[in-house]
Amino acid sequence: MRTGASSQYSALNSQHFDTVVSVSGFVKRYKKHVAVQGVDMEILKGEIYGLIGPDGAGKSSLMKAIAGVLTYDEGTVEVFGTLVDSERAAERVKQRIGFLPQGLGLNLYPDLSVEENIDFFARLRLVPERDLIERKTRLLAMTRLDKFRDRAMKNLSGGMKQKLGLICTLIHEPELAILDEPTTGVDPVSRRDFWSILAELLQEKGMTALVSTAYMDEASRFHRLSFLSSGKVVASGSPTEVQALVPGSMVTFEATPQLDAIARVKTGSRQVEALGPLLRVFREETVPAAAAQAITLSLGDITPLHLRVDEPELEDVFVALLLRQAGQLLSTEWPPVTVLPANHGLAIEAKGLVRDFGTFRAVDRVSFQVKPGEIFGLLGANGAGKTTVIKMLTGITPPTGGEGWVAGAEMKTAGGAIKERIGYMSQAFSLYLDLTVVENIRLFAGIYGLDANATDQRLKWIVSMAGLKGYESSLTSRLPMGVRQRLALGCALVHQPRVLFLDEPTSGVDPIGRRHFWDILSRLAREEGVGILITTHYMSEAEHCDHLALMYAGRIVAEGSPGDMKRQVEKEAGQLLEVATDQPGQALRRATQAGFSGAALFGTKIHLLSLDPPQDEARLRTVLSSDGVHVQDVLIRPLSLEDVFVYRVMLVERQEQATVKGAAA
Amino acid sequence: MRVSDRLTVWCRRIAVMTRKELLQLFRDIPLMAFLIYSFTLSVYVTGNGIQTQLKNAGLLVSDADRSVSSRELISRFHSPYFRFDGELTHPNEGFVRLDRGGSMMVLDIPTRFHEALVSGESTAVQLFVDTTNSPQGLSAAGYAARIVGQFSQELIMTRNGQTGSSSTTVPMILSDHRVWFNQDQNETWFESISHLLRMITIFAVLLPAAALVREKERGTVEQLLVSPLTPAQIMLPKVVAMTLVILGATAVALFGVMLPVFSVPIRGSVALLFLLTALFIVATAGIGVFASTVTKNQAQVGMMTLLVVAPMLLLSGIFTPLETMPVWVRYLMALSPLRYFIEIATGILLKGIGLEMLWSQALSMLALGVSLFGFGMWRFRRQFQ
Repeated sequence: MRTGASSQYSALNSQHFDTVVSVSGFVKRYKKHVAVQGVDMEILKGEIYGLIGPDGAGKSSLMKAIAGVLTYDEGTVEVFGTLVDSERAAERVKQRIGFLPQGLGLNLYPDLSVEENIDFFARLRLVPERDLIERKTRLLAMTRLDKFRDRAMKNLSGGMKQKLGLICTLIHEPELAILDEPTTGVDPVSRRDFWSILAELLQEKGMTALVSTAYMDEASRFHRLSFLSSGKVVASGSPTEVQALVPGSMVTFEATPQLDAIARVKTGSRQVEALGPLLRVFREETVPAAAAQAITLSLGDITPLHLRVDEPELEDVFVALLLRQAGQLLSTEWPPVTVLPANHGLAIEAKGLVRDFGTFRAVDRVSFQVKPGEIFGLLGANGAGKTTVIKMLTGITPPTGGEGWVAGAEMKTAGGAIKERIGYMSQAFSLYLDLTVVENIRLFAGIYGLDANATDQRLKWIVSMAGLKGYESSLTSRLPMGVRQRLALGCALVHQPRVLFLDEPTSGVDPIGRRHFWDILSRLAREEGVGILITTHYMSEAEHCDHLALMYAGRIVAEGSPGDMKRQVEKEAGQLLEVATDQPGQALRRATQAGFSGAALFGTKIHLLSLDPPQDEARLRTVLSSDGVHVQDVLIRPLSLEDVFVYRVMLVERQEQATVKGAAA
Repeated sequence: MRVSDRLTVWCRRIAVMTRKELLQLFRDIPLMAFLIYSFTLSVYVTGNGIQTQLKNAGLLVSDADRSVSSRELISRFHSPYFRFDGELTHPNEGFVRLDRGGSMMVLDIPTRFHEALVSGESTAVQLFVDTTNSPQGLSAAGYAARIVGQFSQELIMTRNGQTGSSSTTVPMILSDHRVWFNQDQNETWFESISHLLRMITIFAVLLPAAALVREKERGTVEQLLVSPLTPAQIMLPKVVAMTLVILGATAVALFGVMLPVFSVPIRGSVALLFLLTALFIVATAGIGVFASTVTKNQAQVGMMTLLVVAPMLLLSGIFTPLETMPVWVRYLMALSPLRYFIEIATGILLKGIGLEMLWSQALSMLALGVSLFGFGMWRFRRQFQ
């Protein structure tokens, strides 16, 4: 399944090629630290331009400079043809710009209501009262916030806050919207909402948008993009152009024993990932058959099962580009496995866990099991109850009802024993930033009561496992995020726990660091038999888990291995069709009118679910061509876990609405 | 696990956590700078700076008489109380000089001053005092009145045939003051001791509160809560570490500034002083722990500290004696550990008394400490449930 070489960019060709932003030789320093070094970029009218990169790549500095709120050291920034080099110059273009800073709802006033916030921003921008009323009504309806007009902003969920932030940024209908990481920490459903609102407004008002994101899987939503890493542009262009920079194939297969298989394929490729039982390997061969053959050859007497070849995703491309740049993947030795008494029974078992906060039920009858050596993923939006489940199992929060066993100890009666047997790592990495690497490790060794001998042994083990050599006496605050993350994992493992809890452990880490982290996790599970419970909102990461549970409003609404979950959705709702046309906006409207449910704009393409692809394709082509829209290509794409998540949550939401209506009737 | 093993692990936990607190504190450069300043330079400045006794009051003289008597009177305004700033040619010039603020007083002696005294007539001198600095100005006026009174008394006696200042043959009641414990009325002693107590109080509340709230702010407290540490094991090391640091700082202030520079006496037992200081710090830290449980970040905890510590400092008897306050304030201040600690610290340093006299204060502080600390601890446990 590979795309034709058709230009996706042709959608924009029909429009004017006006340059809205032009950046050249941009350099920004913070004291000695160079945040951005020599970036060139051109944003054209009417496009969504993406800045992609991990924390600290320089995205925010660049965006702030374009918005005219940050000075820079070298180069030029031109916005609407005006050179933005002084505060006065910035003032001239500010009225035409809307800027949404990073952080959920940071530009909003928590104690003002939704409507008061919008009114404030509109009046600040001198929007005439009549326009305000009209735009407000429309935007509130689009974002489905109209029911919450009078609710104080601080009482909104993360996704709602971000949608309100978007309204406030766009209420004066700026010609250029600059949105800094608008989707970070927002659940997948709200994220999809967010993208479709943005796409619609852009289409309608002829707006241009510059959007940054740390989610690699959002890259294909942009018309064009720049991938930043350590202040430099690693790649830029349209998603297809970027993809073409690294020709190759991704081979996915199952093989046992997995660890031997990994060792064998690693000789021919540096990009090897374990996704639960699956292995994903990047091969430079572009012909699928050749790539498959290369894998079979390198595996020798291990036979690959369910082998399949796809084109690389953008994230794979970025990793390949980063690897080219860095030379090679940071290698860590895996120290000899310490033999521990065999662990019988389950690592974690939850039975009907319930937790109420006042009248609000945060966790509703949650049951699941995690076996030793298994990576179990708990998925869900902010506020779905994931963290509360972890807090109950680790003994921080007492449950309202239900039972739980962790590492063989009963949750309610043996909280102390549980705490000694588990490792825990939280979103903030929970390290002491003003202590050095070794001081942090020694502190946690002491907390878990290790004696001097054991401490020294574990210190050595952690340093080599996490690749911390050379960083031993650096202050933790000076470490790159990826290293910090592995140190936090090391500290959680200091006492050789049998069960590991990881609460959103990969926020803000670059793709290579993330892959490295997952490498360690799968070795821990496969080689040492540690049971791992992990929560994440990166849907692409959930692919690494052996087993997933999807939480919504305190309940588990779907469960299974990533493959099972996708197959289930394919059975119920059909396969994912990706439609490339020359007029995406018009095509989407027509498709929705024609009854293709769940159709959504994805960059320049349209995604929709279909139970009968050949027939639906034919129908779509007829409908669209009757409207003068030229369909360039229709492809069946593999479902992503994000598609699964959105499908499941929408289904539950619809069912709930139906019951409410039923009860009312 | 055997009991001895449990004990080893317990001690190990407290030890690593205390070490961690000390490391973190020493690496907090601004806080360390503030701590060092507070216990050295600031003690020196306060001890030296706040003066209620008259010192170096600038005196201008307009002497229209220029006689033996006028010179004799002028010479009695001497240092260290007064500083002779020169003579004026015209009395009006005095106002200008006073307005400019260089000098504090103008003494105006009229013509025929000596003549009048010799011939047994009454005469008067005029004194202008600038009381912008009111304690100094009022004292200056008082001193001047006494000097003139003394001068005229001596003149009367000379006239009656007595010589010099021997007053044995004249019936007279003398008012003489004997000051106990600080015979020289050396103010730097009391001022530096009270400043030290203020600093100990502020840091005893602030340091543990800041350390606890910082863990909350950065989310590290979560990591500690899922570890086998009990709330006591999380909190105790902070208090231990902060107590050690404050005791160290107190030693620096006492032996590095107050003893060598101000010669503050240490009449009682140093060991007892430090022991009770430690008790005071732990008791006061309970307030800090409480403050940390009702606040979310360092800025809030800073303000909260101010709110709690300010009335404690003002009303516990450092600035004004407890005896001068309304009865209800006195009862309220029974809840302030500082109220007892003032008596203990001044008692040991200046009076040289020990537990035989201070036992009631020490016991009150202990009882208060146990309840404050217990309350803080209870709040600390509760906030995570």
